[in-house]
Amino acid sequence: MSDAKLDTRLDTTATGVPGTSRVTRAKLGARLGPLIGMPVGIVLLLVIGALLSDRFLSIGNLVNVLINISILGVIVVGMTFVFITRGLADLSVPATVAVGAILTLGLQPAIGTFPAALVGILAACAAGAVNGLLIGYARINPVITTLGVSTIVLGIAQWSVGGVIVYGSDPAAQAFINGRVLGIPVIVIIFLVVALLGHLVLSRTVLGRWVYAAGSNPDATRASAVPLARTRATAFVMTGALSGLAGALLGITLQTARPAIGVGYEFDAITAVVVGGISLLGGSGSIPRALGGLLFVALLNNILVLQGVPTAVQGIAKGLLIVGAVSLDIYLRRKGGRS
Amino acid sequence: MSTAASPRGGWSLALLGLVRYRVIVILAATLVIAATFVPGFFDARTLSLGIDRVATMGLIAIGLTVVLIAGQLDLSGGAILALSGIAAVGLQEPLGQIPAAFVGLGVGLLAGCVNGVLVVILRINSLVATLASMLLFRAVCHLITDSRPVSGIDPFFGIPLTQPVLGTLSTRVFIFVVLILLLHVWLTRMVSGRNLFAVGSNATSAAASGIRSRWYLFGAFVFSGLMAGIAGVTFGIASNTGSPVFGDTIVLTAIAAVVIGGTRLEGGIGSALGTLGGLLTLAALTTAMEYQSIPAYVQDIVTGAILLLLILLDRLTHARRGTDVSPAALLRRLSSQSGAEHPQETERTPA
Repeated sequence: MSDAKLDTRLDTTATGVPGTSRVTRAKLGARLGPLIGMPVGIVLLLVIGALLSDRFLSIGNLVNVLINISILGVIVVGMTFVFITRGLADLSVPATVAVGAILTLGLQPAIGTFPAALVGILAACAAGAVNGLLIGYARINPVITTLGVSTIVLGIAQWSVGGVIVYGSDPAAQAFINGRVLGIPVIVIIFLVVALLGHLVLSRTVLGRWVYAAGSNPDATRASAVPLARTRATAFVMTGALSGLAGALLGITLQTARPAIGVGYEFDAITAVVVGGISLLGGSGSIPRALGGLLFVALLNNILVLQGVPTAVQGIAKGLLIVGAVSLDIYLRRKGGRS
Repeated sequence: MSTAASPRGGWSLALLGLVRYRVIVILAATLVIAATFVPGFFDARTLSLGIDRVATMGLIAIGLTVVLIAGQLDLSGGAILALSGIAAVGLQEPLGQIPAAFVGLGVGLLAGCVNGVLVVILRINSLVATLASMLLFRAVCHLITDSRPVSGIDPFFGIPLTQPVLGTLSTRVFIFVVLILLLHVWLTRMVSGRNLFAVGSNATSAAASGIRSRWYLFGAFVFSGLMAGIAGVTFGIASNTGSPVFGDTIVLTAIAAVVIGGTRLEGGIGSALGTLGGLLTLAALTTAMEYQSIPAYVQDIVTGAILLLLILLDRLTHARRGTDVSPAALLRRLSSQSGAEHPQETERTPA
């Protein structure tokens, strides 16, 4: 919000794809910075982790890291779309996650786990649609809209189960989600499929082009007859559906669902996207970059845990990481000639 | 724009007036509802208790009003509240009670400066910046207290803060009311207050017309930090406890109260009295619903619905902002409208 107002120069060169801007082409360092920064950072973390602890580079540990980020990763995919369309952020994630989890476990005895999960995802999708209508078509500020919708949706979800904790009744489903296929945990497979689909939609489809267009210059986008409202709404519907899926996965793995089950996921998802170098101003970024940010945060956390650092310090590290990543991104953009 | 700005009938004018004075309308409606459901709602004791409950959130909302008018967002208020509360209570033993309270205020001020540096100097978007500082402050809270609540040395020290003075309002409510009235005077009567609106609607043009936009933005965050500090110190002393988990949901509710009061997240529009109205609405609503023992989650649904409805109304009539809806003009035009059909009457050109 602030940067858009402080700096009103029109950014006419950004196409949303890193490295294709005419201005930045001349400056190799600045152009490569965002592209190689994240992989280098991750490799650096891997080296540091391996030096500090001999358990770090074991397959078991790294698979654990992957399992841990799988559920959050599903949400991050949706949040990336929201960021790129300049939809700021979706703060209703905790509510939609809770809806997914509560409905999945609550309806499990009646209709079976997978239909119940489907209902949960559809309900979360509906919440996302309300977000999308209000933000895309009525053009209300995303922060306050998702906040209000979140309060209402969470209230309804609690109301429907009487405000108590719901317990699961299908150990088979839990075993399936926690199990492995060809040595890869099922939950990781689900996450990778979602991430791949998200990446393909964003980079290969018309919708993906519209998403970048909506974020980089809304006025020009509207003038080019791109359905701006529909595109922005779609991003929120997707985030709702994916958060519902994450909630369903969470509910099945934990076999309990309380209304506060999703608290903190919205900020964790925003952290991952921001550390991945995707700006709130929209118009640029990609799924791999967001997931790179997610992996970076997860590896850092893992190293801190293996070193026995108290949880509070991990919070400080996360806060400093956000500040550092965003400052670096802003610095590189300015140096590269972009706003 | 000009066609949209000239209201056609009495109904649309009435709607415009309703939106313009929605804070008063919704507050009056809630008070009526509360009075019907809660016997003795207007007793001094009930009112005093009701207002006392919102005093802490109200202080945060005062700071947020300024930040929101400046077109920014501050999510870190709850964490600052916890941090300064811990400082004010935890330092009582080595420093004494009054100096510790001042240290608590200083902590709030300093935390506000951190936010200011992040947003104004490092140019990080305020949503992300205050999210990061919220995580930081909260982590510091857990670190210095080892995640355990700290308690003060004298449980009676905080009694005067919550005790009614002059038979009606408690001291912390007085602090809150005085501050919000001062804010109202500053925003409406002083040049620097008006400048804040200019910065909020367009920081670049404000800077071009000689207003130091960046200093105003910085100041807004420092002010918000100080208000959260005051909230933390009063809350900590009153409960004789400082806990790292205090205020973890307070900011979102405070934002809702400020927005119900008519302040816009886009910046440039807002008022202190509106925030007061929003806070009182929420307080009356909560009291009435709790009296009916309506579960907390249903209360959430009602609050959220009111919030969204008000913003939607505001947005739908946004295009007609040039229309004169001062009470006198509204009355005059509504009465002339009902007299005869004059489609071409007093058409105003929007500014």
